[in-house]
Amino acid sequence: MLNADRIIGFFSLAFGGVIFAVTRDLSQLGGVFVNYVLIAIFFLAAIMIVKGFTKPERLRFFDSMVERNNILIGLIILFIYLFFMPKVGFLPASYIFYACFNIYLAEDRWTTKNIIQSVAISAIVVTFFFLIFHFFLAVPLPIGSWFE
Amino acid sequence: MLDAAISGLGHVFAFYNFLFLFIGVFMGIVFGALPGLTATMGLALLVPFTFTMSPAGGLIMLAGIYVGAMYGDSIPAILINTPGTPAAIATTFDGFPLSQKGMAQHGLVAAAVASSFGSLVANIVLATSAPPLAEASLKFGPPEYFWLGIFGLTIIATLSSGFIFKGLLGGAFGLILSTVGMAPLGGDVRLTFGYPELQAGIELIVALIGFFCLPEILSSIIGQRRQSYSSQKVTPKLGVIGEVIVSLLKKPILMIRSSAIGTIIGFAPGAGGNIASMVSYNEAIRWDKNPKDFGKGTIKGVAASEAANSAMAPGSLIPLLTLGIPGSPPAAVILGALMLHGMKPGPELFSAYADVTFSFIMALLVAAFLVTVVGTFGSFIFARIINIPARLLAPAIVFMTVLGSYSIRNNMLDVWIMFTFGVIGYASNKLKFHPAPIVLGLILGPFVEEGLVQSMLAGKAAGGILKYMIFRPISAVLIAMCIMSALWPIYASWRARRVKDSPRVKE
Repeated sequence: MLNADRIIGFFSLAFGGVIFAVTRDLSQLGGVFVNYVLIAIFFLAAIMIVKGFTKPERLRFFDSMVERNNILIGLIILFIYLFFMPKVGFLPASYIFYACFNIYLAEDRWTTKNIIQSVAISAIVVTFFFLIFHFFLAVPLPIGSWFE
Repeated sequence: MLDAAISGLGHVFAFYNFLFLFIGVFMGIVFGALPGLTATMGLALLVPFTFTMSPAGGLIMLAGIYVGAMYGDSIPAILINTPGTPAAIATTFDGFPLSQKGMAQHGLVAAAVASSFGSLVANIVLATSAPPLAEASLKFGPPEYFWLGIFGLTIIATLSSGFIFKGLLGGAFGLILSTVGMAPLGGDVRLTFGYPELQAGIELIVALIGFFCLPEILSSIIGQRRQSYSSQKVTPKLGVIGEVIVSLLKKPILMIRSSAIGTIIGFAPGAGGNIASMVSYNEAIRWDKNPKDFGKGTIKGVAASEAANSAMAPGSLIPLLTLGIPGSPPAAVILGALMLHGMKPGPELFSAYADVTFSFIMALLVAAFLVTVVGTFGSFIFARIINIPARLLAPAIVFMTVLGSYSIRNNMLDVWIMFTFGVIGYASNKLKFHPAPIVLGLILGPFVEEGLVQSMLAGKAAGGILKYMIFRPISAVLIAMCIMSALWPIYASWRARRVKDSPRVKE
């Protein structure tokens, strides 16, 4: 069980500390508001830490190992997608991401039917939105640095 | 004003704009009906689509989405006892018992008609009271804007679930995030960490998608590996539509009272649709001749809840359009959309941009009628969307969040910011540290900072900063409003507890 108050309190102190360190060279007009907010953050963080020691709120972050693994894998798939999109281009990255995510979330992951279905849906949805954004809305989607 | 309203109506009925409105209503109903998707998410995801549209066309479509979503959330509430959004909580009290009695169609039609009625009443208030309020806002100086920002921040008291200091801390984080980029006075470049793209600050829509959309998908679909939602089978009958409409027309006081409650609560920033529907449901029980009907499946209960939560939506736009204070999260997204089209809330909206503003207000009105038609005849089709397997739904939503974040400024940094905020939002939800106050701080930060720094400069010149900031008539009223708004959640939660503790609700 996690002590949520202590985590929030110490994280806030660290966050406030970093902001304090990088905003010392601001002018008076540019820094006055930042300084007031930092005072509030340090004060509220101190309250959270005190609460964490006196009347802590204990929480379970993940309900189960399965949930933790699902979230981590989901985030890793998304991270890889975002990482490779500027390199391989929007269309190839999106086709692969969409199909992989579909396959991952399905119950019968590795059946031929599911794979074909996922690839087909990926092709339709991604192409549909690509056409709208690229041609209708004129958004310059990443082409892919590897192919430039 | 009348000319602008007629011209606005003309814009709404132009072929393409009406088509956009219809599409917006349809999509809004879809977003509202899917648990986990909200009006805020629908608006945030679809704002990029309005980029290349005219400002009027884009806002008309957003109006459709907003009004549609306020009805859509009642569909799963009635069919499977799951509110599509928190605003439909009270709808489940009588909606689901109606479904259990085989009268789901009665509930769905009552929800559509009541939603439209509530929306209609609130829109009339918006159209008639917004311009005078906007004129009054011209008398505002820097101290008044500062106190207005603080008034907006008092919403944190409502948004905080549990320990209020957590909410305040979230608000402070949001205020710090709002300082990223160029300082409004002084010209300092702050907290950009070497990324020139950040000099323009953090894009509001990116933050909203990150904090609200991604965490919801992570926790409700990806984490749980939910495969599908179930739905109830119903046999639609045309006669039910007339029967329900006649029955609701015989209850004009119930409808007007519920709509008035929703409008007033919507006008108070931060008090959301869930509070509006709970208070309205409570009042419906209190004033009804047969209070024992409630909780066992009566269209009066569904109508009370839906009229109030749909009236809340236009009500929350009054402070947004006139003063730039978003009264609800969807209103915050609409604020973002206004700014993307170069429109600043306030008196200018009703003078320089009157044409566009009244197109938006009239679109809200027309959308209310469309909801009756689309909602009444199409509710059973919409309900089937809930059957879409989650494995198909989740990738589509995540894909759209990426596409939406990228398209705002055409750079990947915004997508990474969205991803980071999504992870932070998920973690903070797990720690019961709701991200809504962070977003509120991010929205109101520039407003408060500008008001504060300008007041300090002007106050010094006037001979006393405190005197300049406090002892002005409008400032004094705003300070009083801040105090009242901060205390409102305590009163509202007391009222909501009374409804919850009522024996009928427990049944």
